[in-house]
Amino acid sequence: MTTIRATFALLAAGTLLLAACGGTDSTASGGDTQKPDGACKPEQIKLIGQVRNQTNPYEAAWLQGGDEFAKKVNLTQQRLTYDGESAKQQEQIRQVLASGDARCTVLNVLPNGDSDTTPIVKQAQAAGAYLVTQWNKPADLKPADYDRWIAHITYDGKDSGKQIAEALIKAIGGSGGIVALQGILDTAAAKDRFAGLQAALAEHPEVSLLDQQTADFDRAKALTLTKTLLTKHGDAIKGVWAANDDMALGALQALEAAGKSGKVAVVGIDAVPDAVKAVQDGTMTATISSDGPWQGGIGLAMGYCAATGQLNVASVQPRAFYAKQFLVTKDNAPQFATPKVDPAEFECANLFSRVTGPVADG
Amino acid sequence: MAERIQTYGPAAALLALVAVFAVLSPQFRTLGNLQNLLDAGAVLAVVTIGATYVLILGCIDLSAAGVMGACALAVSLLVANSRTALDLGPLGVLLVVALGAAFGCLSGVLSVGLKVPSFMTTLGVSAIGLGVATVLFAGVQPTVSDPWLLQWASGRWLGFTRLTYLALATVALAWLVQRYTRLGRYALAIGGGEDILRLSGIRVGRYKVAAFTLAGACYGLAAVMITAQLGSGIVQAGAGLSFAAITAAVVGGTQLAGGRGGVAHSMVGVLILTVLANGLVLIGVSPYAQRAVQGVIVVFAVGATLWPLRHRLEVVK
Repeated sequence: MTTIRATFALLAAGTLLLAACGGTDSTASGGDTQKPDGACKPEQIKLIGQVRNQTNPYEAAWLQGGDEFAKKVNLTQQRLTYDGESAKQQEQIRQVLASGDARCTVLNVLPNGDSDTTPIVKQAQAAGAYLVTQWNKPADLKPADYDRWIAHITYDGKDSGKQIAEALIKAIGGSGGIVALQGILDTAAAKDRFAGLQAALAEHPEVSLLDQQTADFDRAKALTLTKTLLTKHGDAIKGVWAANDDMALGALQALEAAGKSGKVAVVGIDAVPDAVKAVQDGTMTATISSDGPWQGGIGLAMGYCAATGQLNVASVQPRAFYAKQFLVTKDNAPQFATPKVDPAEFECANLFSRVTGPVADG
Repeated sequence: MAERIQTYGPAAALLALVAVFAVLSPQFRTLGNLQNLLDAGAVLAVVTIGATYVLILGCIDLSAAGVMGACALAVSLLVANSRTALDLGPLGVLLVVALGAAFGCLSGVLSVGLKVPSFMTTLGVSAIGLGVATVLFAGVQPTVSDPWLLQWASGRWLGFTRLTYLALATVALAWLVQRYTRLGRYALAIGGGEDILRLSGIRVGRYKVAAFTLAGACYGLAAVMITAQLGSGIVQAGAGLSFAAITAAVVGGTQLAGGRGGVAHSMVGVLILTVLANGLVLIGVSPYAQRAVQGVIVVFAVGATLWPLRHRLEVVK
């Protein structure tokens, strides 16, 4: 009996702990729930940014960008983090929509995976909350079919994989052997980025891909793997192509331990602070930035403009789009070292200035 | 006979793997690769020692991910780094090992005191650790700049990294503790039959808490080692290591039910997993197939080891 009671006590404590980790400081605003579209007063609007966790620099920067937009319009952003657990993400959305005035709520969400986007969209649509999603959505789910799902923002992985591959090929002088560290093999990000590398290699037959392995986007795994690849291929390796910066940084540590830091070119994607610093120092050749702070601010800005009637959602075209990404090299690294948001980009007239093209069948 | 196969089976499997890889890949049988292998297995070895102390009690410890996250952040903030003005050096490392031990002690006290299954308490402690790590992280990744700590991973003595020596020393110490101290011997006995020990008047709880504490200290040390390797404090430093460590222990012949195996067995398991990951890359198995091949070999190795014992182990949970 005591065991059972103790188990419950522990579970209850665990739940409290998890709730506390979520960092909810809800500011429930009352008021009438029936309002026509775009008739929210600025002070009635509730801004919510939801990401997986605050324990990686990218998502922390995202939330920071959301805070900066909120400050610009004299509001505060409610930060939600779901620790990469799909069920928790849905539960948080449900709670947020149930408290306060859903029709004046703006959600800027990073869905955990493609399939998580569908229930989030349906909930937001039913409650009348404005929603912007980023990175993940199933191909057949289209924002244009909903009037509250303003936009889906994502980045062209094939393009980023190709851009860094070209930077790498240039850095090794146009010929020689490289190795590729892939991400988690069954994710779209890993597949698209690797397809970009292959496209670049097809244009440069004098560069050979000596080996390609997966390190699951993980820094520690990339470190061990790169050491093994150095054993296998030795000095034939002139460059390391990594599908994200964490793996690139792991590879960098392995090269350093082997006394080859700076002699082998390394590229990654994400522009995490350590990588930008490495690019600045010259130990890394290039990385790609999607501009996390912009992502955190722009979704809230779109929702804010729609809720206050300054943006007509139906007129947005395309609704699911690729946003501009930036190749970070030694020349422009300093400006990415301290990422700043440009408030002008969050003006209602400039919301779509970074669209590079529609997502295929989006 | 069966006893002997259980004891030496995993070691034979390890030798067979090494022989196969050495024949198939000339790079595998180089001194450079031996250095690389031992270096690659160092962190897993220290985590596995911790997990083994708990496993031989018949308990399970899933707290490595959280404890290592908290300790990785703590150590990167205590030694010279990019975020705080602290520069405690070796003292910082000791404090972090103590922090790990405190987490382990908490797991032990909760399991013994509240009589909650260790599976639950250690998962809870892992969540607490990740919470602490998140608070310490505070949005900015600390980069370690202490040359003394970074030397652990990059500096070499006689060709081997200091991490390798540290792991070997830890293994030796853990083996001595298990072999020659009351704690080590009672731990095995507790795993074999806790009720009997309790009836003979031994305060079992105390030894269980001590074993969990030692495990926590190991996770703390492993977190320091991984931070030295990666050069920054990373919340996910221990992600997946609990399961890797338990797999290594079981592959090596430490039993999940407790009472059998120990440090030496588990280390054979660590070597098997490390050699496997290294060798499959070197002989050029496609990355798309590697995980499946690893799984098949692990299941086969455990199955072959336990085959002669299958009559005795009538109940398998």
